[in-house]
Amino acid sequence: MIVARDVHKSFGHVRAVRGVSFDIPTGQVVGILGPNGAGKSTTIRMLVGAMPPTSGSISVDNLDCVDHSRRVRQRLGYLPENNPIYPEMRVTEYLRFRAALYGITAKHRRAAVARVIERCWLTDMRSRRAGQLSKGYRQRLGLAASLIHNPPVLVLDEPTTGLDPSQIAETRRLVRELSGQRTMLIVSHILPEVEKTCDRILVFAGGTIRADGSPETLINQAAGPARIIVELKTNDRERARSVIASAPGVASAMAIDTDGQWTRVEATANNNADPREPIAGACAQANLAIRELTRERPSLERLYLRITEAVADELRTQPGADS
Amino acid sequence: MTALLAIAIREYASNFRTSLGWIVIALYLLLSGFWVAFATINPGEPASLRVFFSISQWLLLIVAPAISMRLVSEELRTGTIEPLMAAPISEWQAIPAKYLGALAFFITMLAPTLLYVGVLELVADPDYGPLLAGYAGLILVGMLYLAVGLVISTFTQSQVVALLATFFFFIALHILGTQIADRASPRIGAALRYASLAPRIGDFAKGVVELRHVVFFVAWSCFAIAVGVISLESRRWR
Repeated sequence: MIVARDVHKSFGHVRAVRGVSFDIPTGQVVGILGPNGAGKSTTIRMLVGAMPPTSGSISVDNLDCVDHSRRVRQRLGYLPENNPIYPEMRVTEYLRFRAALYGITAKHRRAAVARVIERCWLTDMRSRRAGQLSKGYRQRLGLAASLIHNPPVLVLDEPTTGLDPSQIAETRRLVRELSGQRTMLIVSHILPEVEKTCDRILVFAGGTIRADGSPETLINQAAGPARIIVELKTNDRERARSVIASAPGVASAMAIDTDGQWTRVEATANNNADPREPIAGACAQANLAIRELTRERPSLERLYLRITEAVADELRTQPGADS
Repeated sequence: MTALLAIAIREYASNFRTSLGWIVIALYLLLSGFWVAFATINPGEPASLRVFFSISQWLLLIVAPAISMRLVSEELRTGTIEPLMAAPISEWQAIPAKYLGALAFFITMLAPTLLYVGVLELVADPDYGPLLAGYAGLILVGMLYLAVGLVISTFTQSQVVALLATFFFFIALHILGTQIADRASPRIGAALRYASLAPRIGDFAKGVVELRHVVFFVAWSCFAIAVGVISLESRRWR
């Protein structure tokens, strides 16, 4: 459905995108993650025809984004970053305007507007001016506008920036509902958002794709050996450490903190082992009470930080190669 | 066509949604009204609006850029240009549509001045030929001012810059045509006199409609709109 082949984009001497390729099949919900300046928005803007790639190509349904820009745009619903909307227009008026831009004839416009107003929970706000809407409602209006022509592909650039937590949850629910049969690209730097909404994640950094896979795959890749935290009833740090280290499946252990009679030990497991049960057994044998035994869940955040830090190091060692 | 009309209507209507549109209309009517009241409606004067038409060309120097300055600059500043151009429309629709919206607002602004014609009719017996010529001239001048203002507004995010640049462009044209033309070499002088608007506008105010003037204003307006289209289109090439 969406195919990018070795896409490069430079602005003067700044190389914003450096050889990005991906294939997105119909119906997939893809999250594009990455720090600011990673090339995410530039890639999206090339997709929506706002600028051409310096080299390489992006196509939607086998239509090139440069040569068949208008036909590609007809297939895309696009919610730009910051969601700019004419503030003086009323909700229904703005949606009718957007419908006309997509060539929806006057006869079908009313139905199209009614459909997206209902779909995006805007019924109570239909006669408000866009400039008077709260940020959450504004975002819904932007989403409604991007859906007006019922596009097979939806591209959302930072859909939850600037929203409060309840608005974020609401927008996320709406986005999940909208996915259905649609191919979706969601640009974000909010990790939980992408993890919860997307089938697949592309991590951008320094203008290239550094990781590509389902959230689970990426998390497992990132995980490495698990970390275990144990709190034992003893103020003898060395004893606490050696008891934990002796448990099968534990690679190493280190006492990190003592608080009164309690000592906190951090252990690293062997490869993929889960040594919580052996640790509990070892503590029981040594007659030490436990008040905490946690295996740290591997997270996307770890992968993300690892990639972005690696890229930052790379960029530091290549002066002039700014992204 | 649907999209073109939608953009034109939105552009037209947005003038009435902001105080700016109303201020522009009010100032134009107030100032032109003064001149009509004090310089035209006098016993013994000829029953014509010649003074109104001549003064209007000067008022339009600031009024027209105040209408055109928003056209693209505001979209660039607020970012609304991005969703607009992400729709499957071409710059050849967007820019002419915006121009038509602005032109329609301009003509709406002129409409109340027909009242001056009514007043003239009440107190005297005006000749309608020169009046028609005068209005044709105003609309043609407005067309050119708005088209150039539109081009300039595609270059900048700042409405103030767009306003001033358009204003000074026409002031410069006027000075070049009247002050510099006689001192320049014959060829340059001829070119400057060709570009000078004041004599052409003067002819319309006197009631003379010359085809070459009409062609001048229409052709250069179309040219300016085309430059505006290319200027906006060039954003996609960068």
